[in-house]
Amino acid sequence: MQYILIALRNLSRQRRRTFMLGGAIAFGIMVVTLINGFAGSFVDNVGENFSQLLAGHIFVEGVEKTGTREVRVIRDDDVLTHTLEEQQIPTRFISRRSNFDAEIVFQGNTIRQNIVGADWTREEFLRERLNLVEGSFDELTTENELGQRQGLILSKGIADRLRAQVGDTLTLRMRTVNGQQNIGDFRLVAISYDPGLFGSLSGYADLAYVNQLIGLQPGEYQTLGIFVDSISQIDTYFEPYYQTLENRVQVFPRNQGEEGQNQVEALFRAAEEDNWEGVRYRLYTLNDVLEQVQQIVDLLNNASLIILLVLFFIIMVGITNTFRMIMIERVKEIGTVRALGMQRHDVMVLFLLEAFFLALGGALLGLALAGITMFILGLINLGLDSAIYILLKNGYLTFLLSPWQVLLNFSVVIGLTLAAAYVPSRKAAYLSPVDALRA
Amino acid sequence: MAIVEVTDVKKTYPLGKTEVHAVKGVSFSIEKGDFISIAGPSGSGKSTILNLIGCIDVPTEGTVVINGQQTSGLKDREITELRHQVIGFIFQSFNLVPVLNVYENIEFPLLLGRKRPTKSEHAQAREYIDHLIEEVGLSNWRKHRPNELSGGQRQRVAIARALAVRPQIVLADEPTANLDSKTGEDIIGLMKKINSELETTFIFSTHDSSIVSIADHVIRLKDGLVTENFRKERTTTR
Ligand SMILES: Nc1ncnc2c1ncn2[C@@H]1O[C@H](COP(=O)(O)OP(=O)(O)OP(=O)(O)O)[C@@H](O)[C@H]1O
Ligand SMILES: [Mg+2]
Repeated sequence: MQYILIALRNLSRQRRRTFMLGGAIAFGIMVVTLINGFAGSFVDNVGENFSQLLAGHIFVEGVEKTGTREVRVIRDDDVLTHTLEEQQIPTRFISRRSNFDAEIVFQGNTIRQNIVGADWTREEFLRERLNLVEGSFDELTTENELGQRQGLILSKGIADRLRAQVGDTLTLRMRTVNGQQNIGDFRLVAISYDPGLFGSLSGYADLAYVNQLIGLQPGEYQTLGIFVDSISQIDTYFEPYYQTLENRVQVFPRNQGEEGQNQVEALFRAAEEDNWEGVRYRLYTLNDVLEQVQQIVDLLNNASLIILLVLFFIIMVGITNTFRMIMIERVKEIGTVRALGMQRHDVMVLFLLEAFFLALGGALLGLALAGITMFILGLINLGLDSAIYILLKNGYLTFLLSPWQVLLNFSVVIGLTLAAAYVPSRKAAYLSPVDALRA
Repeated sequence: MAIVEVTDVKKTYPLGKTEVHAVKGVSFSIEKGDFISIAGPSGSGKSTILNLIGCIDVPTEGTVVINGQQTSGLKDREITELRHQVIGFIFQSFNLVPVLNVYENIEFPLLLGRKRPTKSEHAQAREYIDHLIEEVGLSNWRKHRPNELSGGQRQRVAIARALAVRPQIVLADEPTANLDSKTGEDIIGLMKKINSELETTFIFSTHDSSIVSIADHVIRLKDGLVTENFRKERTTTR
């Protein structure tokens, strides 16, 4: 309509002023969009990286209880894998792992560390995810005269604290699944990069050797990790799997979303508290593990909204002042159009349209700038040895922007701009036509 | 039939602690289709009277009736509607909308109506605007913005704009004051020509006695009072 045309042309009258204000709006939107974009891919990347380190999206652990004795073991996973097939859950890979809490003793230093036993001939992806500072994966599978694969990978932080070098032999103390003390020798074959976030990485060793040390028979293990075909579909696949298993074997009840209760912690506590006997399975997903990561993301998004609000309350002052100035500059025009028969309401609409397009233009520019910045940042390889690598995707920053988030930001900016322009616009509309014409 | 009836109108402006009596009690009526001059020296109240007739100001006392409609007591919405439908304005300093070109300026009042025009109404409006542009002699300037035009040309645009909604009354407060005398005469001549052609009532103010003679009806003011109210019998061809 013609009013839109007039509003747009009015904006172009004072180009510098328009660019200043529009630029301020664009800057605000750009900063917030960048934060949102980063936060958006945060969960995905952390999830992707975690799923590789933990070797799965859906996890099943077995617990055997007789009297007060509790043994963490899966002796037979037929029902677990069979149900998976029967439910037609598209599975990319299934990992089988055991782990133990170790006390590593080396030259008078003692450190506690979780040691994961993985099947290195099958878990190719773990080699890609673990970035080695020193050493190589090759020796992990080297067998000693007893047929044991004693290779061990420790994170750099742990190795440094132990003052251990690649090639050193370390003695690890652990408990078997039955609670007896045991000791095993390991050879440090590689040192991995420590991402530094979310605690230290586990140490990695060979599954068969770990099983032997914790008293499991060949073929037994502790955690089944299931990779489904899409990380975003975890919950969709998990529900039917859990429900079907529930009817076939004993499973630990999942915490029904109690406030502030972490699913994984709750599951572990249930094993100790409850009075039961037999074999039970503990099922959880990557999303349960990532709950805290999601909280960080929510925090980031909320912070960005607050930044947006603060930034825009400052910009609003500028907009209010500018529109007050505009009103004074155009007072005679206002008198003229009122004399010609323009209603007060329409005068206001004309001013608000101008504010609207200013905000929209600024916001679109900001979005474009954010897009360009994201593109450029996304081209830089920060490397897999970067401390924030757990947030990256193969060493690259990625951004994921939800259209709803963009819409929210735009609404906030446009809403606030209109609010800022409202009072001056109303004043303009309520000027007496004679007084305006005489001015 | 009287299209404007002004009865016992007074207008007082507050000025600091005192008051200015701009119009001190005037009565007159204006006939439809007349070409009226409101004459008088500076400060005599010409603009005040025109503003009251134009419904952009309200009298302190007395009544103004436009086209049979009592103007006092109307809501702003109604009075704005009345201005839009009945009155066209020509200003001393042209007051064109700077961001609109000649055609758009003339079209502008047509966009202020409440209801959306139909396709055929729109086509009619286009034709009428083109006719007006031709009438005021600006066919070659349709796409130009006001700042690219001379004063005389701008006032021609203003005349065309005032006529766009086919108002019954066109008010012009010193339309020639910002123009040289030759251009001013042309502008008055153009207004007179349109007045005869369209039967539109023109009311213009001036303090230049040389252009008063062209008017059918002269209302002379001094110190806020009417000193002369003279109407020639028009030789109409109606
Ligand atoms: N808004 C106002 N406030 C105070 N005084 C006013 C106002 N408008 C007009 N006046 C005064 O009223 C008187 C009449 O003013 P008006 O503008 O009607 O005269 P005029 O005949 O149009 O004069 P000019 O030829 O200079 O335009 C003047 O003394 C003027 O100073
Ligand atoms: Mg005047």
